[in-house]
Amino acid sequence: MSLPGYIYKMLENVVGPENISDSPHILAAYRHFSPQAVHRPVSPAAVILPGSTEEVQNLIRICNRYHIKYIPEVSLFGMSAVAFPDTVIINLRRMNRILEINEVDRYAVIEPGVRHVQLKPEVLKRGLNYPTASVGPSCSVLANFVASGDHHVQHSFSRVSRYLLGIEWVLPTGEILRVGSPALGAGWFCADGPGPALRGLVRGWNGWGGGLGIVTRIAIGLDAWKGPPTLPVEGHSPQYQIRLPRECHRVHIFKFPSLDRVRDAMLEIGKAEIGFAVLKFFYATEAVLYTESANDFWELWNSGLYQKELPQALWVYLATWTPEEMEYEERVLSDIIRETGGEPVEESIRKKYEENMDFFIMVSFLQRTLKLGGGWSPTKLGGDSVHHMFEVAKSIPEFLSEFIDKGLILNAPHNFQIIPMEYGHMAHIELLYFYDRTAPDRRKVQMDISQKSLETDIRHGFHAATPAHGRAMMEKYGPLWSNFHLWAAKIRAAFNPQEISNPTS
Amino acid sequence: METLKDYLYTMESCNSCGQCRFILGPLSKGKDYVEVCPIYSRFLFESYSGQGLINIAQEILEGTLGYEEGLLEHIYSCTTCGACDINCKSVRDMEVMDTILALRAKCVEDGYGPLPAHKKYSSLVEKEHNIYGKDHDQRFDWLPEGTLTTNSDTVYFAGCTTSYLYPEIGINTVRLLQASDIKFDVLSAGEYCCGAPLWRTGQMAAAEKLVRHNLDMMKKRGIKTLVTSCAECYGTFKGLYPRIEELSFEVLHITELLRRSLQKGQLQFTNRLSMKATYHDPCLLGRLSELYIPWKGEIKAFGYHDPPKKFRRGTYGVYAAPREILKAIPGIELVEMTRRAENAFCCGGGGGVPDAFPELSLWIASERLGEAASTGAEAIISACPFCKSSFEKAIIAKQNPLHYYDITELIARAI
Repeated sequence: MSLPGYIYKMLENVVGPENISDSPHILAAYRHFSPQAVHRPVSPAAVILPGSTEEVQNLIRICNRYHIKYIPEVSLFGMSAVAFPDTVIINLRRMNRILEINEVDRYAVIEPGVRHVQLKPEVLKRGLNYPTASVGPSCSVLANFVASGDHHVQHSFSRVSRYLLGIEWVLPTGEILRVGSPALGAGWFCADGPGPALRGLVRGWNGWGGGLGIVTRIAIGLDAWKGPPTLPVEGHSPQYQIRLPRECHRVHIFKFPSLDRVRDAMLEIGKAEIGFAVLKFFYATEAVLYTESANDFWELWNSGLYQKELPQALWVYLATWTPEEMEYEERVLSDIIRETGGEPVEESIRKKYEENMDFFIMVSFLQRTLKLGGGWSPTKLGGDSVHHMFEVAKSIPEFLSEFIDKGLILNAPHNFQIIPMEYGHMAHIELLYFYDRTAPDRRKVQMDISQKSLETDIRHGFHAATPAHGRAMMEKYGPLWSNFHLWAAKIRAAFNPQEISNPTS
Repeated sequence: METLKDYLYTMESCNSCGQCRFILGPLSKGKDYVEVCPIYSRFLFESYSGQGLINIAQEILEGTLGYEEGLLEHIYSCTTCGACDINCKSVRDMEVMDTILALRAKCVEDGYGPLPAHKKYSSLVEKEHNIYGKDHDQRFDWLPEGTLTTNSDTVYFAGCTTSYLYPEIGINTVRLLQASDIKFDVLSAGEYCCGAPLWRTGQMAAAEKLVRHNLDMMKKRGIKTLVTSCAECYGTFKGLYPRIEELSFEVLHITELLRRSLQKGQLQFTNRLSMKATYHDPCLLGRLSELYIPWKGEIKAFGYHDPPKKFRRGTYGVYAAPREILKAIPGIELVEMTRRAENAFCCGGGGGVPDAFPELSLWIASERLGEAASTGAEAIISACPFCKSSFEKAIIAKQNPLHYYDITELIARAI
């Protein structure tokens, strides 16, 4: 359904005629029924491209006045909520300025349209780095930080939301709220300012429990980068390689006799505070990432190599300033691996990582995860202690086996990752499964796995998973998580009284 | 030949991941020059991209989107540069470019396409065998006398744009072939348009007629090697012709041939050309230049192609040959743009865009020139008469201080 003409005209007056459209062919991109979607999206009423915070504010005020629902969006991939009836998409790609990179105080101030492919090289060439959510290069840095994206190197970093500093935020009512030091005009360096910290309310998630208003500017913390200022890329797509100087950059992959030993090694490495990245990675996803075509994947997967080597394996990337430091870290690592019963996996697997270190930098080939026809879905997506995450992992076969046995998903029961944060202070778990998107019941499979996963968590008293963001799911499972859904509802009612920001079913 | 429904797997598989809009991540040098799709850069809406066009294609195929106002202009605004295709194929087994071309063919088949500016191609080609409507008998008027070796099994296919608009490219190419002691002939009156403009605008019946004619000529003459100095011709021979009939001859761009000559010592550079320059990869000589290998089969569960399919991912485009030649010329300092090789930003000259949307073509070329200038280069070099046309128009219109050179001109000056 299109917007009434007078409302369209008011919105157009804010952004200019070239930055708004309600033509069906322009809106086609928002109606696409992606293989990862559970429901077919309906067409939005219009798409609008504001160019500034002021324009965002004016658009939201109009939306409030006429009760027009809106969804902010930058890159469309993954978690973006796309299209409910009578909703407008506010696409923020024109707001793509890197406003400041402060090399002394180590932060960057960015707008929502800035992508990893833009910010990452800018900070690397200044000898700095930031934790990059595993989303691929074209996604919005701001969206990932406000959505608390997880990533491959959070062993020595943390979840990206921990790096969130000052925030400029247009609330669902159209008011501008500045959080942290920007509230006092004191610069962007600090997440906390006068009054209660509001960082926890800023969420990039879609849906009922999710984003409130539109975040138009954030500062993120930066860390030191131990690699070269520009990435040495050789070869051509998709066979490009990035090799970093081996005296200071090395990858090891070890296999262990049990998940408990993987966990023990992970914790010991954290205690020793060595390693740039440590992770128990997905073994099937690894095979998808490091092969060129779906057929290549099947050839590798059917060889059984990964099932033999990687179900209980730990990836360790050591990055150091000096060769001497590398020698020290390798000695410590060697002791830990010996004590925990690990041994190196086949060399061909390890070598692939050192030949393309992009896995630990930007994961530019991350979307290869989609190449088995596009049918994939993550579940769990939780965070808690390392011990707890491994207990959750051990329960996965309890609910996943029946889907594998029925041939509904790829036979990869160990395709989960556990990534420690802050040297083992916490960890993140994610179970990723692949389904055949052409299967007639694939949407039911997605919903069933999600539900069985939650039920298993409840049965064991696990408390790490992130429940789905739809209202019905939150109301169903909220009581099992300290009635968090009631608090979420109160916050939503306070900030989003007209229910026009991020509508949901 | 494949039609739009043959690409349903591509349309249905798209996860809207955005890879089709940006360069390969690690190649980025900073904030600028990371978008790879010209229309996404110009029009901003996501529907103006490889992803958007395949979404539209799916809706047209399913009958849920009609030929409404503005749709054809949207579809034909794409330069068919293939940047979306190659970047998508860096991670997926999808055929974005072929889907867009099949979408255009469907527009024609349904009686809506192409745009009026493109419709003249087929009638002009029918009459004069070139898209400019120039006298076919004058196609090789530029050819210096005494340069051919009659009945050589190597033929120089000059192409319409070289012959009628930029004969100096042909003259320089002939000079370079002679300097390399390569015996060659031309098809003379037997050379018709390669079919690129018709193929890229969806006029497949007319394109196929040209393909069959040129292939017949090649067969009759027993040609073993076809040399061209035009990227559009090159990419068409390798990308379109095998869809109709298996090639019985080798296709070489002049830079590939000259690199061989350089390596063998048959070509030597004696003149110094002092300049800092950057090289622009033409789309159909770079990422879209790999040989098309027909595939018939079934895409099974989890994307398994049975039998295995050989994808054109842009890995083996003609990237090294022109660069090696330029680096070998004394005095040329070659600097690279961020968007290079398979990630090159289009010149704006393809897909019928210059005829239908000259302002858009100019904007795209100007964007590319801006990137070239950012390297500190004083000249931009390419290897395609369509690139020459686009860049020279933009240089004049925007009073850009950059110089444009076709690579054959510089090589000819260096020997």
